[in-house]
Amino acid sequence: MKYVLKKLLSCIITLFIVSFLVFAAFALIPGDPALSKLGTNATQAALDAMRHKMGLDRPFLVRYFTWLFDAVRGNFGNSYSYSMPVASLILDKIPITLTLMVYSMILMVVISVPAGVYASYKEDTPVDRVIQIANQIVMAIPPFFSGILITLFFGIVLKLFTPGGFVSLNANPLKFLGFMFFPALAVALPKSAMVFNLLYTSLNGEKKKDYVRTAYSRGNRSKTVFFSHMLKNASIPTITFLGMAFADMIAGSIIIEQVFGIPGLGRILLTSIQNRDYPVVTGIIMLIAVTVIISNMIVDIIYKIVDPRVDA
Amino acid sequence: MSKLLHVEDLNIEFHDHLIPETVVYDFDLDMEPGEIVGLVGESGSGKSMSALAVAGLLSRHDMKKRGVIEFEGKNILSCSRSELRELQGDEICMIFQEPLTSLNPVKKIGWQVEEGLKIHTDMSPEERKKRAIKALEDVEIEDAQRVYDSYPHELSGGMRQRVMIAAATIGNPKLLIADEPTTALDVTVQSQIVELMKKINREKKTAILFISHDLSLVSALCERVLVMKGGYVVESGSVKEIFESPKEEYTRKLIDAIPKCGSTEDLVENGEPLAGMKDINVSFIKRKGKNKEKVHVLKDISLDIYEGEILGLVGESGCGKSTLAKTLLGLIKPDTGHVSAKFPNTQMIFQDPYGSLNPSKTVGFIMEEPLRNLTDKTPEERYALSKEMIEKVGLSEEFLQRYPSELSGGQRQRVCIATALMLGPKLIIADEPVSALDVTIQAEVLKLMMKLHMEMGISFLFISHDLRVVHQMCDRIMVMKDGEIVESGDRVKIYENPSHPYTKELLKSAGLGPGGVK
Repeated sequence: MKYVLKKLLSCIITLFIVSFLVFAAFALIPGDPALSKLGTNATQAALDAMRHKMGLDRPFLVRYFTWLFDAVRGNFGNSYSYSMPVASLILDKIPITLTLMVYSMILMVVISVPAGVYASYKEDTPVDRVIQIANQIVMAIPPFFSGILITLFFGIVLKLFTPGGFVSLNANPLKFLGFMFFPALAVALPKSAMVFNLLYTSLNGEKKKDYVRTAYSRGNRSKTVFFSHMLKNASIPTITFLGMAFADMIAGSIIIEQVFGIPGLGRILLTSIQNRDYPVVTGIIMLIAVTVIISNMIVDIIYKIVDPRVDA
Repeated sequence: MSKLLHVEDLNIEFHDHLIPETVVYDFDLDMEPGEIVGLVGESGSGKSMSALAVAGLLSRHDMKKRGVIEFEGKNILSCSRSELRELQGDEICMIFQEPLTSLNPVKKIGWQVEEGLKIHTDMSPEERKKRAIKALEDVEIEDAQRVYDSYPHELSGGMRQRVMIAAATIGNPKLLIADEPTTALDVTVQSQIVELMKKINREKKTAILFISHDLSLVSALCERVLVMKGGYVVESGSVKEIFESPKEEYTRKLIDAIPKCGSTEDLVENGEPLAGMKDINVSFIKRKGKNKEKVHVLKDISLDIYEGEILGLVGESGCGKSTLAKTLLGLIKPDTGHVSAKFPNTQMIFQDPYGSLNPSKTVGFIMEEPLRNLTDKTPEERYALSKEMIEKVGLSEEFLQRYPSELSGGQRQRVCIATALMLGPKLIIADEPVSALDVTIQAEVLKLMMKLHMEMGISFLFISHDLRVVHQMCDRIMVMKDGEIVESGDRVKIYENPSHPYTKELLKSAGLGPGGVK
């Protein structure tokens, strides 16, 4: 418990630093939100007035701390282009993107772990080789392309879902989940190939370890040696990768949302960057940072549970 | 009484290359219940292979076994996997060489000790726990309850080996196969483990097949010995016979390789110290969560090394020997005190010849590295010098093109020595230079160091936990315990008349002590 609290504290400090960097980056990069809001024909006076109204003429640190204190209370300011609070804009979309991410994560584990264990169990047999080849192919296909293939195959040929026919969670939860399965699969496939590879390699590495020989010398069945001795040891590097993959998925989902026409965070992020809608962009980046930091923290905690050698 | 184990004409072949390679030829062995038999030989002599075959653990499909292995009349070679499993961990148990890696790092000790019972009996969990604690107590672990709930990494090497023995003997097996169980341990711990195995044999009437490359340990434990070389049993008989009248050249070589005491000429100390340290204190900050703990590793150490001498530094692992060496070399900055050693006049050889050479570079590249960094010699000069040095350590010029992975342990340590010679040092610090090597190779490397000492006048600071090796090599000896030098002086004085209790204990566990050679 103390370990968790300590991790939490270090996360908060990290977040604070990230928030400063993000805010500073948007204050430093060229481009004027007032200009992009009023258009290039606006007079200097109108621009100055707009800057004043948006609070852009105040000193940088004042702006940062005003924003920070508001942000801590859940107020990320108003979007320039959507003219609504950033918080509610993002909150609307979080369930969609989060579902996509969690869904992909589950698919990733469900696909890669059994495949990795099975292939390693059957090392150097034809079954193993077939899985290896399939894995190479899947790994080589980027998500946006597998997204297109999935749309073509499951959507148009098999008609299992309507391409572009997004159903919102509130309208029909079941249909929503049904639709989301396919983009989640597209995100999950290449990553599960990597998880598979990692697990397969570390399982095969464990086979040569001395403690495995010890386990056999006690009269264990091969299956028991595999599941009760090796799997936990081999899962240690895999857990690290799963954590990184989850954090990475939020970026991957931006592209997939475009391919499948899902109105998630990715779409707002892209339009807001084009419109120099900085409050929205900062808000989303902070959200990504929080996701990354939290998933890292969870990995650290799982790590500690799985591997007793990790120091508190 | 019928035989416990009967092995006849056992041949083991590997088939993973084009030409099958035989690793064990016509191995015969008979063991009575409760007997202790030693199996001696260098690594690669086939002794571990034979033992693994007896334990039914050689199941690789690229391996062929011929012959008979009968355990209580049951032929192990023709057993099915499930019949074998009945025996493994119940009637036949094994202890392995590396207690550090032979335990599963993510499982608690208790779980691992009980595993045999879980597989072979239908005892209740409470009963199993009771038996496991009893087994841990039987191997003289004082804090059995705490150890039961610990993980392997929380225990020392010696403790882990005790745990392995507890796990192997919990089900009262009829045969215990111990494959080099003491090789990775300190010398004091070694003798404790041997005592423990004697006790188990006495109390539980367990027959023990003890595999080792150390003839002196085997002679302390076993009644009968088999000597193996290149896959053949070259000699067998009672310990007494083998020691008193070895028939084979190889057996004699093994016996001679046991470091004996009193074979070096004393060298006179010269006046001027070559290197030294005065009032050295070194401490590390050890972080454990929030608490920073200051660990005082070296306490007020002063020493001088004179030209032309070999100074021995002995002590158990963890006493600060290596820290002292690194401080002398300037790799660690002391908190207080003064070091007077001049780089590159001082060079170092490390313990692990496997880990201390970069595997992706050729031997020639590694050897020339100090010259490239510190001198402006031309490539031709560098090559000529590395050729000279590699020949000096008894290897040929062609080794310069090879990679470390293509060399044996002894050859690697020779390369390390040759590299240390490149800058013409006056003093070489050798940190456990032979501990990782086989006993016959140990003797060769020690001979080489002696030769360099005699021919080139190089002084050595020789760090070791093996008192016999130190006695053979050194003129002067310092004994270290917990960061302090507890005793120092002339070799003869220390071995004949130790004054500190710790020195006495060390000598006793090495089978040495007042009176000289055992």
